Amino acid sequence: MTTTPTTERRARRERDARRRQRGFTFVDAIKPLVNTLPLTEVLSPEGVDKIHRASMRLLKEIGVLIVDYPRAAETFRRHGAIVEERSDGQLVKIDEDTLLHFVRQAPASFVQRARNPAKDVPIGGRHTVFAPVYGPPFVLDLDRGRRQATIEDFRNFVRLTYMSEHLHHDGGTLCEPNDVDVKERHLDMLLAHITLSDKAFMGSVTHKENARDTVMMAEIVFGAEAIRERPAVLSLINASSPLRFDDRMFGALEVYAQAKQALLITPFLIAGAMSPVSMAATLAQQNAEALFGICYAQMLNPGTPCIYGSFLANIDLKSGAPCFGTPEGNLALYAGAQMARHYNLPYRSGGNFTASRIPDAQAGYESASTFVTTVQAGVNFVLHAAGWLEGGLIAGYEKFVLDLEMCGMMAKFVQGIGLDEEDFAWDAYAEVGPGSHFLGSQHTMRHYETAFYQHGVFNMDNYEKWESEGAEDAYKRANAVWKRMLQEYQPPVLDEGVKEALLEFAEKRRAEIRAGRLARE
Amino acid sequence: MDFKDLPDEELWLQMQDDLYDGLKDEVVEETKEALARGYSPTEVLAKGLVAGMDIVGVDFRDGVLFVPEVLMAANAMKAGMEILRPLLTQTGAPRIGTMVIGTVKGDIHDIGKNLVSMMMEGAGFEVINLGVNNDADKFVAAVKEHNADILGMSALLTTTMPYMKVVIQALKDEGLRDKVFVMVGGAPVSEAFAEEIEADAYGRDAATAVDIAKRYMAWKNAQRAAT
Ligand code: B12
Repeated sequence: MTTTPTTERRARRERDARRRQRGFTFVDAIKPLVNTLPLTEVLSPEGVDKIHRASMRLLKEIGVLIVDYPRAAETFRRHGAIVEERSDGQLVKIDEDTLLHFVRQAPASFVQRARNPAKDVPIGGRHTVFAPVYGPPFVLDLDRGRRQATIEDFRNFVRLTYMSEHLHHDGGTLCEPNDVDVKERHLDMLLAHITLSDKAFMGSVTHKENARDTVMMAEIVFGAEAIRERPAVLSLINASSPLRFDDRMFGALEVYAQAKQALLITPFLIAGAMSPVSMAATLAQQNAEALFGICYAQMLNPGTPCIYGSFLANIDLKSGAPCFGTPEGNLALYAGAQMARHYNLPYRSGGNFTASRIPDAQAGYESASTFVTTVQAGVNFVLHAAGWLEGGLIAGYEKFVLDLEMCGMMAKFVQGIGLDEEDFAWDAYAEVGPGSHFLGSQHTMRHYETAFYQHGVFNMDNYEKWESEGAEDAYKRANAVWKRMLQEYQPPVLDEGVKEALLEFAEKRRAEIRAGRLARE
Repeated sequence: MDFKDLPDEELWLQMQDDLYDGLKDEVVEETKEALARGYSPTEVLAKGLVAGMDIVGVDFRDGVLFVPEVLMAANAMKAGMEILRPLLTQTGAPRIGTMVIGTVKGDIHDIGKNLVSMMMEGAGFEVINLGVNNDADKFVAAVKEHNADILGMSALLTTTMPYMKVVIQALKDEGLRDKVFVMVGGAPVSEAFAEEIEADAYGRDAATAVDIAKRYMAWKNAQRAAT
């Protein structure tokens, strides 16, 4: 054997990079799931039709209440709906033809812009996109326990999301920054999304003004024309179920629709409280509310991208608390997907849901139960894919990391089973034959890196090794992982000019908001 | 079954069972019957209604009863109380208490608040439920109008929680703060927050709310007796 003399020692095969890769890695592009598997369906075509007809009846006979936003009722009236004045708002009754005429104008799929074009997000079709938890007022970690979320927690969750290969979208209110004044919080949250990450993000919906600020900031980053061509903001518009929308939600919807930004219209149903205890009624009501919101967006600006949303759980009838990962909720999750496909709309539902207060066995089972369902239903946009605890009251640092494992596994799962010649590994049989093992075969050598899902936090050590290394459970290991991710975090590049313009805008708005408050006081 | 033939001891047990089963009409008739047999309103309350609702409370806490069942029981209790309340006032019995409760401005979450209201009624309190989205004026007016012992405020949003402080300030401005016991609750609310806004108590759930309210009324009635 001849060797070339060298003065330089060969470097270990990327040892440092590899050691770093344990846990979850940063990747400079996103790979949303493309689900190649047959989707699970629980309703027959007749079932879909029954739910459809029931929801049309709800919309025509019972109606949807619009609270404190008469101009929305006026828009509906102008387009042929019947509007009844009530003491608490306007009751809008709309017929099937009018409703579907507008609903049909929403695109079946769309692409949301991200600051980094390699992270633009396809929404619809066979794509599944994962985004982190949204909304919790508390955070939890192993070191400091449960506490009020702060802006620093918010930033941490943006950083962690940016660092996570398995999340394709930044989400929105990752947790509520309680230490920043309510009136200017949205500015800090948007700044964090735009400067600390380069993934696509969600807009503020807490006030019409905040929605305007969001659109302006998106214009600074992407350009006013660019965002109207393809949306750069996706915003969560919830129905205040049952059968009700309010000024905040419809006000924000109006601003976004006018700027042609994407909307996620989500009925908010905890069956037993916000809908009847039966799933048929709950699904019909969900369908009615979602289509009603989508219809409104199309009336305002035809072609505005809309996602058919579902947040559907059921109440614990012995305490009133919301339950997650239940058999009923999962059935409804599948059925909701069928309804969205029926109208040719992208679907949002599911997540790593749990009612548990800590990332314990209950949290694991409930999350897995909803998450596998989520993926098999063919959900297009999955909010709450990482970090959800206590029915949405807590964003958990360790839970976030544990959920990433589920996201990663599902990404592999939806690829299905390859059936090419190479997949049958004939050369491996020729090489190894009966009775030996395949660990060293050429076929294994060619595929070992990607053959099986590589775990980031789950542990396969034998008992003694595991014990000697501290006998850590998943909760403990996850704690080390998020800390390492934060340690290794490097902010993405952002054009200095853009950054300055953003900060300037935020400061200007902050001053106006403060002056406005003083003026009122 | 005609309970008119039941011995007194059995009548109390029957009342308790009927409360548990949410049989409103029966509870009303039994309340009247007990009064007709010469028991004082205070006795009827203690031996029949309260004893019955105590069992309901325990079984609700322990996850034996469903919310709709507790709701039926609380309605039965309320119906019985409607008969007893005027009599109790006449006889100068210690006040059970009046509570004004509502969700604060900008907030429409009411599932938890309604559970609290239900359990308070179940415990015999007179509850004025203001519903959702209440501003300070509404709270203050209701406290005045009903001469409330307790004000309960609920908020489920971190954005609406601070409004509780506004209401407390309004109570101060109206000179009502010392006259009413302020209890706050809702998922994002905490003991620390309650302290910070100078509320009198934080109730983590409906059962706790009832306990605190009862303890406060016992204290208040003792104060009143002492002066
Ligand atoms: C159900 C629900 C709704 C329903 C409410 C229906 C209704 N009629 O109440 C609907 C769909 C309308 C709704 C709307 C919204 N919601 Co909501 N909602 C919830 C949810 C899932 C459950 C709340 C609940 O009912 N729990 C069950 C009851 C039994 O528990 P509880 O309320 O805590 O009450 C108990 C105790 O707290 C206590 N208690 C309660 N009140 C009081 C009062 C007193 C005096 C005392 C002593 C005790 C007490 O006793 C109760 C019984 O044990 C929570 C998440 C969660 N897990 O809590 C989100 C949640 C509260 N909602 C949230 C949000 C953001 C909203 C919306 C803004 C969404 C939107 N974008 O439109 C709107 C706001 C509407 C508005 N203006 O208020 C956030 C709040 C986040 C934050 N930062 O504050 C949460 C945490 C979810 C999330 N992660 O995003 N919501």
